Amino acid sequence: MSAPAASDHSPAHGHAEPSKLHIYVQIAMVLGVITGFEIVLVYLPLTRWIVFTALAILSTVKFMFVIFYFMHLRWDKVFCTILFFIGLVLAGGTMWALLHLFGSEASKPLSSAALEIARVALT
Amino acid sequence: MSSHAAAGTIDHHHDASTSTGIPNKKLLWWAFLASDCMFFGTLISTHLVYRLNPPPGNAEPTKVFNIELTSFSTFILLMSSLLMALAVNAIQRGQVKSMRTMLLGTMFFGCIFLGGQVFEFSHFVHVKKMTLSNSLFGSTFYTLTGTHGTHVAIGVLLLGLMYVRSFKPAHSHGTFGDLGLTLFHVLAVCTAMGLSFILIIPGFLDMLESGSGLGAFFSHHTMPLIGLAIAGAVLGWFAKTSGNSDFDQRNAIDVEAIGLYWHFVDIVWIVIFTAVYLIEYL
Repeated sequence: MSAPAASDHSPAHGHAEPSKLHIYVQIAMVLGVITGFEIVLVYLPLTRWIVFTALAILSTVKFMFVIFYFMHLRWDKVFCTILFFIGLVLAGGTMWALLHLFGSEASKPLSSAALEIARVALT
Repeated sequence: MSSHAAAGTIDHHHDASTSTGIPNKKLLWWAFLASDCMFFGTLISTHLVYRLNPPPGNAEPTKVFNIELTSFSTFILLMSSLLMALAVNAIQRGQVKSMRTMLLGTMFFGCIFLGGQVFEFSHFVHVKKMTLSNSLFGSTFYTLTGTHGTHVAIGVLLLGLMYVRSFKPAHSHGTFGDLGLTLFHVLAVCTAMGLSFILIIPGFLDMLESGSGLGAFFSHHTMPLIGLAIAGAVLGWFAKTSGNSDFDQRNAIDVEAIGLYWHFVDIVWIVIFTAVYLIEYL
Protein backbone atom coordinates (compact mmCIF):
# COMPACT_ATOMS: atom_id res chain seq x y z
CA MET A 1 0.00 0.00 0.00
CA SER A 2 1.41 3.34 -0.93
CA ALA A 3 2.20 5.90 1.70
CA PRO A 4 -0.34 8.70 2.05
CA ALA A 5 0.49 11.70 -0.04
CA ALA A 6 -0.96 14.07 2.55
CA SER A 7 2.22 14.21 4.54
CA ASP A 8 4.18 15.43 1.54
CA HIS A 9 1.98 18.39 0.70
CA SER A 10 0.86 20.51 3.59
CA PRO A 11 -1.23 23.59 2.72
CA ALA A 12 1.50 25.69 4.23
CA HIS A 13 3.49 24.98 1.07
CA GLY A 14 0.69 26.42 -1.05
CA HIS A 15 -0.74 23.15 -2.42
CA ALA A 16 -4.38 22.07 -2.55
CA GLU A 17 -5.40 18.95 -0.58
CA PRO A 18 -3.81 16.02 -2.44
CA SER A 19 -6.10 13.27 -3.66
CA LYS A 20 -6.23 10.12 -1.55
CA LEU A 21 -8.33 8.31 -4.14
CA HIS A 22 -5.86 5.49 -4.73
CA ILE A 23 -5.42 4.81 -1.02
CA TYR A 24 -9.18 4.68 -0.51
CA VAL A 25 -9.77 2.35 -3.46
CA GLN A 26 -6.98 0.02 -2.32
CA ILE A 27 -8.38 -0.08 1.20
CA ALA A 28 -11.90 -0.77 -0.07
CA MET A 29 -10.53 -3.69 -2.10
CA VAL A 30 -8.73 -5.05 0.96
CA LEU A 31 -11.93 -4.72 3.04
CA GLY A 32 -13.94 -6.55 0.36
CA VAL A 33 -11.40 -9.38 0.17
CA ILE A 34 -11.29 -9.73 3.98
CA THR A 35 -15.11 -9.90 4.10
CA GLY A 36 -15.10 -12.62 1.44
CA PHE A 37 -12.44 -14.54 3.35
CA GLU A 38 -14.45 -14.30 6.57
CA ILE A 39 -17.47 -15.87 4.89
CA VAL A 40 -15.37 -18.72 3.47
CA LEU A 41 -13.64 -19.20 6.80
CA VAL A 42 -16.78 -20.21 8.72
CA TYR A 43 -17.36 -23.10 6.30
CA LEU A 44 -13.79 -24.44 6.50
CA PRO A 45 -13.32 -27.64 8.55
CA LEU A 46 -11.11 -25.99 11.17
CA THR A 47 -11.15 -26.08 14.95
CA ARG A 48 -13.73 -23.74 16.37
CA TRP A 49 -11.34 -21.59 18.39
CA ILE A 50 -9.04 -21.08 15.39
CA VAL A 51 -11.92 -19.79 13.26
CA PHE A 52 -13.19 -17.66 16.13
CA THR A 53 -9.76 -16.08 16.68
CA ALA A 54 -9.28 -15.52 12.95
CA LEU A 55 -12.70 -13.83 12.68
CA ALA A 56 -11.93 -11.58 15.65
CA ILE A 57 -8.57 -10.56 14.15
CA LEU A 58 -10.00 -9.97 10.66
CA SER A 59 -12.86 -7.86 12.03
CA THR A 60 -10.40 -5.82 14.07
CA VAL A 61 -8.23 -5.26 10.98
CA LYS A 62 -11.28 -4.05 9.01
CA PHE A 63 -12.33 -1.84 11.91
CA MET A 64 -8.88 -0.25 12.16
CA PHE A 65 -8.60 0.32 8.41
CA VAL A 66 -11.92 2.18 8.38
CA ILE A 67 -11.24 4.38 11.41
CA PHE A 68 -7.64 5.24 10.55
CA TYR A 69 -8.02 5.78 6.80
CA PHE A 70 -11.67 6.43 5.87
CA MET A 71 -12.27 8.40 9.08
CA HIS A 72 -8.91 10.19 8.71
CA LEU A 73 -7.58 9.41 12.19
CA ARG A 74 -4.23 8.73 10.57
CA TRP A 75 -4.00 12.34 9.43
CA ASP A 76 -5.88 14.07 12.27
CA LYS A 77 -4.63 15.20 15.67
CA VAL A 78 -3.96 12.32 18.03
CA PHE A 79 -6.53 13.71 20.48
CA CYS A 80 -9.34 12.51 18.15
CA THR A 81 -7.91 8.99 18.38
CA ILE A 82 -7.67 9.20 22.17
CA LEU A 83 -11.24 10.52 22.47
CA PHE A 84 -12.67 7.75 20.31
CA PHE A 85 -10.64 5.04 22.00
CA ILE A 86 -11.92 6.14 25.42
CA GLY A 87 -15.43 5.25 24.24
CA LEU A 88 -14.19 2.11 22.52
CA VAL A 89 -12.30 0.84 25.59
CA LEU A 90 -15.27 1.56 27.87
CA ALA A 91 -17.59 -0.27 25.46
CA GLY A 92 -15.16 -3.18 25.10
CA GLY A 93 -14.68 -3.37 28.88
CA THR A 94 -18.43 -3.41 29.45
CA MET A 95 -18.86 -6.18 26.89
CA TRP A 96 -16.04 -8.22 28.41
CA ALA A 97 -17.46 -7.81 31.93
CA LEU A 98 -21.02 -8.69 30.92
CA LEU A 99 -19.97 -11.75 28.93
CA HIS A 100 -17.81 -13.05 31.78
CA LEU A 101 -20.49 -12.33 34.35
CA PHE A 102 -23.27 -14.08 32.47
CA GLY A 103 -21.01 -16.73 30.98
CA SER A 104 -19.96 -18.07 34.37
CA GLU A 105 -21.32 -21.36 35.68
CA ALA A 106 -23.32 -19.67 38.44
CA SER A 107 -25.15 -17.52 35.89
CA LYS A 108 -26.48 -20.40 33.83
CA PRO A 109 -30.27 -20.71 34.07
CA LEU A 110 -31.60 -23.64 36.09
CA SER A 111 -33.22 -26.55 34.30
CA SER A 112 -36.94 -27.17 34.89
CA ALA A 113 -36.18 -30.02 37.33
CA ALA A 114 -33.66 -27.99 39.31
CA LEU A 115 -36.07 -25.08 39.39
CA GLU A 116 -38.80 -27.35 40.81
CA ILE A 117 -36.45 -28.66 43.50
CA ALA A 118 -35.53 -25.09 44.43
CA ARG A 119 -39.24 -24.15 44.66
CA VAL A 120 -39.99 -27.12 46.91
CA ALA A 121 -36.99 -26.30 49.11
CA LEU A 122 -38.18 -22.73 49.51
CA THR A 123 -41.73 -23.74 50.44
CA MET B 1 -12.68 24.72 -8.49
CA SER B 2 -13.26 27.45 -5.98
CA SER B 3 -10.76 30.19 -5.32
CA HIS B 4 -9.99 28.60 -1.98
CA ALA B 5 -9.16 25.35 -3.62
CA ALA B 6 -6.95 27.09 -6.10
CA ALA B 7 -5.14 28.95 -3.37
CA GLY B 8 -4.97 25.79 -1.28
CA THR B 9 -5.08 27.75 1.96
CA ILE B 10 -7.35 25.46 3.96
CA ASP B 11 -5.85 22.87 6.26
CA HIS B 12 -8.55 20.22 6.72
CA HIS B 13 -6.85 18.46 9.61
CA HIS B 14 -5.94 21.37 11.85
CA ASP B 15 -7.78 24.49 12.98
CA ALA B 16 -5.60 27.19 14.48
CA SER B 17 -8.65 29.05 15.84
CA THR B 18 -9.44 26.38 18.48
CA SER B 19 -7.40 25.57 21.57
CA THR B 20 -7.17 21.89 20.62
CA GLY B 21 -6.24 22.56 17.01
CA ILE B 22 -9.20 20.40 15.99
CA PRO B 23 -12.28 21.90 14.31
CA ASN B 24 -15.08 22.05 16.90
CA LYS B 25 -17.55 20.19 14.66
CA LYS B 26 -15.12 17.33 14.25
CA LEU B 27 -14.44 17.18 17.99
CA LEU B 28 -18.16 17.11 18.73
CA TRP B 29 -18.74 14.25 16.28
CA TRP B 30 -15.87 12.20 17.69
CA ALA B 31 -17.22 12.67 21.23
CA PHE B 32 -20.69 11.60 20.06
CA LEU B 33 -19.32 8.55 18.25
CA ALA B 34 -17.35 7.55 21.35
CA SER B 35 -20.59 7.61 23.34
CA ASP B 36 -22.40 5.70 20.60
CA CYS B 37 -19.73 2.99 20.89
CA MET B 38 -20.94 2.33 24.43
CA PHE B 39 -24.56 2.30 23.27
CA PHE B 40 -23.88 -0.37 20.65
CA GLY B 41 -21.52 -2.17 23.03
CA THR B 42 -24.37 -2.79 25.47
CA LEU B 43 -26.78 -3.86 22.71
CA ILE B 44 -24.28 -6.34 21.26
CA SER B 45 -23.46 -7.63 24.77
CA THR B 46 -27.15 -8.17 25.55
CA HIS B 47 -27.57 -10.18 22.37
CA LEU B 48 -24.48 -12.29 23.07
CA VAL B 49 -25.37 -12.85 26.74
CA TYR B 50 -28.71 -14.36 25.76
CA ARG B 51 -27.03 -16.41 23.04
CA LEU B 52 -24.72 -17.89 25.70
CA ASN B 53 -27.70 -19.23 27.64
CA PRO B 54 -30.56 -19.65 25.17
CA PRO B 55 -33.92 -20.52 26.77
CA PRO B 56 -35.84 -23.59 25.56
CA GLY B 57 -37.79 -23.00 22.37
CA ASN B 58 -35.50 -20.21 21.18
CA ALA B 59 -35.25 -19.59 17.42
CA GLU B 60 -32.41 -21.40 15.63
CA PRO B 61 -30.28 -18.61 14.05
CA THR B 62 -28.72 -20.67 11.23
CA LYS B 63 -32.20 -21.77 10.12
CA VAL B 64 -33.42 -18.18 10.14
CA PHE B 65 -30.49 -16.28 8.62
CA ASN B 66 -29.85 -15.77 4.93
CA ILE B 67 -26.06 -15.41 5.00
CA GLU B 68 -25.80 -14.68 1.25
CA LEU B 69 -28.03 -11.61 1.55
CA THR B 70 -26.28 -10.41 4.70
CA SER B 71 -22.86 -10.82 3.08
CA PHE B 72 -24.06 -8.84 0.08
CA SER B 73 -25.39 -6.10 2.40
CA THR B 74 -22.06 -6.01 4.24
CA PHE B 75 -20.17 -5.59 0.97
CA ILE B 76 -22.55 -2.81 -0.13
CA LEU B 77 -22.07 -0.93 3.16
CA LEU B 78 -18.28 -1.21 2.84
CA MET B 79 -18.44 0.18 -0.69
CA SER B 80 -20.71 3.01 0.49
CA SER B 81 -17.93 3.91 2.92
CA LEU B 82 -15.53 4.12 -0.02
CA LEU B 83 -17.90 6.49 -1.85
CA MET B 84 -18.28 8.60 1.30
CA ALA B 85 -14.49 8.85 1.65
CA LEU B 86 -14.29 9.90 -2.01
CA ALA B 87 -17.01 12.54 -1.44
CA VAL B 88 -14.95 14.06 1.39
CA ASN B 89 -11.82 13.84 -0.75
CA ALA B 90 -13.62 15.63 -3.61
CA ILE B 91 -14.91 18.55 -1.54
CA GLN B 92 -11.53 18.97 0.16
CA ARG B 93 -10.20 19.55 -3.35
CA GLY B 94 -13.06 21.93 -4.18
CA GLN B 95 -14.78 19.55 -6.63
CA VAL B 96 -18.44 20.16 -5.75
CA LYS B 97 -19.99 18.23 -8.66
CA SER B 98 -17.86 15.19 -7.96
CA MET B 99 -18.82 15.40 -4.29
CA ARG B 100 -22.53 15.47 -5.20
CA THR B 101 -22.14 12.37 -7.38
CA MET B 102 -20.36 10.52 -4.58
CA LEU B 103 -22.98 11.60 -2.03
CA LEU B 104 -25.75 10.31 -4.30
CA GLY B 105 -23.84 7.04 -4.70
CA THR B 106 -23.42 6.72 -0.93
CA MET B 107 -27.14 7.36 -0.40
CA PHE B 108 -28.02 4.81 -3.08
CA PHE B 109 -25.82 2.14 -1.48
CA GLY B 110 -27.25 3.04 1.92
CA CYS B 111 -30.73 2.51 0.49
CA ILE B 112 -29.71 -0.90 -0.89
CA PHE B 113 -28.50 -1.87 2.59
CA LEU B 114 -31.73 -0.62 4.19
CA GLY B 115 -33.84 -2.32 1.51
CA GLY B 116 -31.99 -5.56 2.26
CA GLN B 117 -32.79 -5.13 5.93
CA VAL B 118 -36.47 -4.39 5.25
CA PHE B 119 -36.61 -7.55 3.10
CA GLU B 120 -34.75 -9.57 5.74
CA PHE B 121 -37.03 -8.47 8.60
CA SER B 122 -40.14 -9.07 6.49
CA HIS B 123 -38.88 -12.53 5.50
CA PHE B 124 -38.03 -13.44 9.11
CA VAL B 125 -41.46 -12.38 10.37
CA HIS B 126 -43.66 -13.79 7.62
CA VAL B 127 -41.73 -16.87 6.48
CA LYS B 128 -39.56 -17.87 9.45
CA LYS B 129 -42.22 -16.75 11.96
CA MET B 130 -39.67 -15.00 14.19
CA THR B 131 -41.17 -11.85 15.67
CA LEU B 132 -39.95 -9.31 18.20
CA SER B 133 -41.86 -11.00 21.01
CA ASN B 134 -42.09 -14.73 20.31
CA SER B 135 -38.46 -15.57 21.10
CA LEU B 136 -35.63 -14.03 23.09
CA PHE B 137 -33.35 -14.33 20.07
CA GLY B 138 -35.86 -12.33 18.00
CA SER B 139 -36.09 -9.64 20.68
CA THR B 140 -32.35 -9.02 20.94
CA PHE B 141 -31.72 -9.50 17.22
CA TYR B 142 -34.38 -7.04 16.06
CA THR B 143 -33.43 -4.52 18.74
CA LEU B 144 -29.75 -4.59 17.81
CA THR B 145 -30.00 -4.69 14.01
CA GLY B 146 -33.05 -2.40 14.03
CA THR B 147 -31.12 0.22 16.02
CA HIS B 148 -28.27 -0.06 13.56
CA GLY B 149 -30.69 0.23 10.63
CA THR B 150 -32.17 3.36 12.21
CA HIS B 151 -28.67 4.82 12.38
CA VAL B 152 -28.18 4.04 8.68
CA ALA B 153 -31.54 5.66 7.83
CA ILE B 154 -30.57 8.79 9.79
CA GLY B 155 -27.25 8.75 7.90
CA VAL B 156 -29.04 8.62 4.55
CA LEU B 157 -31.23 11.55 5.63
CA LEU B 158 -28.19 13.58 6.73
CA LEU B 159 -26.45 12.84 3.42
CA GLY B 160 -29.60 13.93 1.56
CA LEU B 161 -29.71 17.20 3.50
CA MET B 162 -26.01 17.80 2.78
CA TYR B 163 -26.64 17.09 -0.91
CA VAL B 164 -29.44 19.68 -1.01
CA ARG B 165 -27.31 22.12 1.01
CA SER B 166 -24.64 21.98 -1.68
CA PHE B 167 -27.11 23.65 -4.10
CA LYS B 168 -27.70 26.76 -1.96
CA PRO B 169 -27.40 29.71 -4.39
CA ALA B 170 -24.40 31.97 -3.96
CA HIS B 171 -26.64 35.05 -3.82
CA SER B 172 -29.60 33.73 -1.89
CA HIS B 173 -31.78 36.37 -0.22
CA GLY B 174 -33.59 33.91 2.02
CA THR B 175 -36.98 34.62 0.46
CA PHE B 176 -39.99 32.32 0.79
CA GLY B 177 -39.42 31.29 -2.82
CA ASP B 178 -35.88 30.09 -2.05
CA LEU B 179 -37.08 28.30 1.06
CA GLY B 180 -39.92 26.64 -0.86
CA LEU B 181 -37.53 25.42 -3.56
CA THR B 182 -35.16 24.01 -0.93
CA LEU B 183 -38.00 22.19 0.82
CA PHE B 184 -39.18 20.83 -2.53
CA HIS B 185 -35.63 19.61 -3.19
CA VAL B 186 -35.48 17.90 0.22
CA LEU B 187 -38.90 16.33 -0.43
CA ALA B 188 -37.68 14.94 -3.77
CA VAL B 189 -34.58 13.41 -2.13
CA CYS B 190 -36.62 11.89 0.72
CA THR B 191 -39.23 10.52 -1.70
CA ALA B 192 -36.60 8.89 -3.92
CA MET B 193 -34.75 7.34 -0.97
CA GLY B 194 -37.88 6.32 0.95
CA LEU B 195 -39.51 4.62 -2.03
CA SER B 196 -36.24 2.87 -2.84
CA PHE B 197 -35.57 1.23 0.49
CA ILE B 198 -39.12 0.69 1.74
CA LEU B 199 -40.75 -0.69 -1.41
CA ILE B 200 -38.63 -1.01 -4.54
CA ILE B 201 -35.44 -2.73 -3.30
CA PRO B 202 -37.27 -5.20 -1.00
CA GLY B 203 -39.65 -5.92 -3.90
CA PHE B 204 -36.70 -6.53 -6.23
CA LEU B 205 -35.06 -8.89 -3.71
CA ASP B 206 -38.39 -10.68 -3.29
CA MET B 207 -38.55 -11.11 -7.07
CA LEU B 208 -35.02 -12.57 -7.12
CA GLU B 209 -35.86 -15.01 -4.35
CA SER B 210 -39.21 -16.15 -5.67
CA GLY B 211 -38.06 -16.09 -9.33
CA SER B 212 -41.29 -14.38 -10.37
CA GLY B 213 -39.60 -12.33 -13.11
CA LEU B 214 -39.26 -8.66 -13.96
CA GLY B 215 -42.79 -8.45 -15.39
CA ALA B 216 -44.34 -9.31 -12.04
CA PHE B 217 -41.98 -6.90 -10.28
CA PHE B 218 -42.98 -4.00 -12.54
CA SER B 219 -46.68 -4.78 -12.29
CA HIS B 220 -46.57 -4.97 -8.48
CA HIS B 221 -44.45 -1.84 -8.06
CA THR B 222 -45.79 0.44 -10.80
CA MET B 223 -46.73 3.33 -8.51
CA PRO B 224 -43.48 3.34 -6.47
CA LEU B 225 -41.46 3.20 -9.70
CA ILE B 226 -43.43 6.11 -11.17
CA GLY B 227 -42.87 8.02 -7.92
CA LEU B 228 -39.15 7.27 -8.09
CA ALA B 229 -38.99 8.40 -11.73
CA ILE B 230 -40.73 11.70 -10.87
CA ALA B 231 -38.46 12.30 -7.87
CA GLY B 232 -35.42 11.46 -10.04
CA ALA B 233 -36.59 13.90 -12.73
CA VAL B 234 -37.00 16.64 -10.11
CA LEU B 235 -33.49 15.97 -8.77
CA GLY B 236 -32.13 16.03 -12.32
CA TRP B 237 -33.88 19.36 -12.96
CA PHE B 238 -32.36 20.88 -9.82
CA ALA B 239 -28.90 19.58 -10.77
CA LYS B 240 -29.19 21.00 -14.30
CA THR B 241 -30.64 24.42 -13.50
CA SER B 242 -28.49 25.27 -10.48
CA GLY B 243 -26.03 28.10 -10.91
CA ASN B 244 -23.13 29.05 -8.69
CA SER B 245 -23.64 27.68 -5.23
CA ASP B 246 -22.54 28.87 -1.82
CA PHE B 247 -20.70 25.61 -1.20
CA ASP B 248 -17.02 24.99 -1.65
CA GLN B 249 -13.87 23.78 0.04
CA ARG B 250 -14.74 25.73 3.18
CA ASN B 251 -17.69 23.37 3.74
CA ALA B 252 -15.47 20.28 3.67
CA ILE B 253 -15.68 19.99 7.47
CA ASP B 254 -19.49 19.66 7.23
CA VAL B 255 -19.22 16.83 4.71
CA GLU B 256 -16.44 15.21 6.72
CA ALA B 257 -18.57 15.33 9.89
CA ILE B 258 -21.43 13.47 8.17
CA GLY B 259 -18.79 11.13 6.74
CA LEU B 260 -17.55 10.28 10.24
CA TYR B 261 -21.07 9.25 11.20
CA TRP B 262 -21.46 7.19 8.03
CA HIS B 263 -18.17 5.34 8.56
CA PHE B 264 -19.19 4.73 12.16
CA VAL B 265 -22.34 2.85 11.12
CA ASP B 266 -20.08 0.86 8.82
CA ILE B 267 -17.69 -0.17 11.62
CA VAL B 268 -20.60 -1.07 13.88
CA TRP B 269 -21.88 -3.36 11.12
CA ILE B 270 -18.41 -4.93 10.80
CA VAL B 271 -18.75 -5.99 14.46
CA ILE B 272 -22.41 -7.04 14.15
CA PHE B 273 -21.74 -9.10 11.02
CA THR B 274 -19.11 -11.13 12.86
CA ALA B 275 -20.63 -11.24 16.36
CA VAL B 276 -24.25 -11.84 15.38
CA TYR B 277 -24.16 -13.60 12.02
CA LEU B 278 -20.86 -15.37 11.27
CA ILE B 279 -20.27 -16.79 14.76
CA GLU B 280 -23.57 -18.69 14.54
CA TYR B 281 -22.12 -20.82 11.73
CA LEU B 282 -19.19 -22.12 13.77
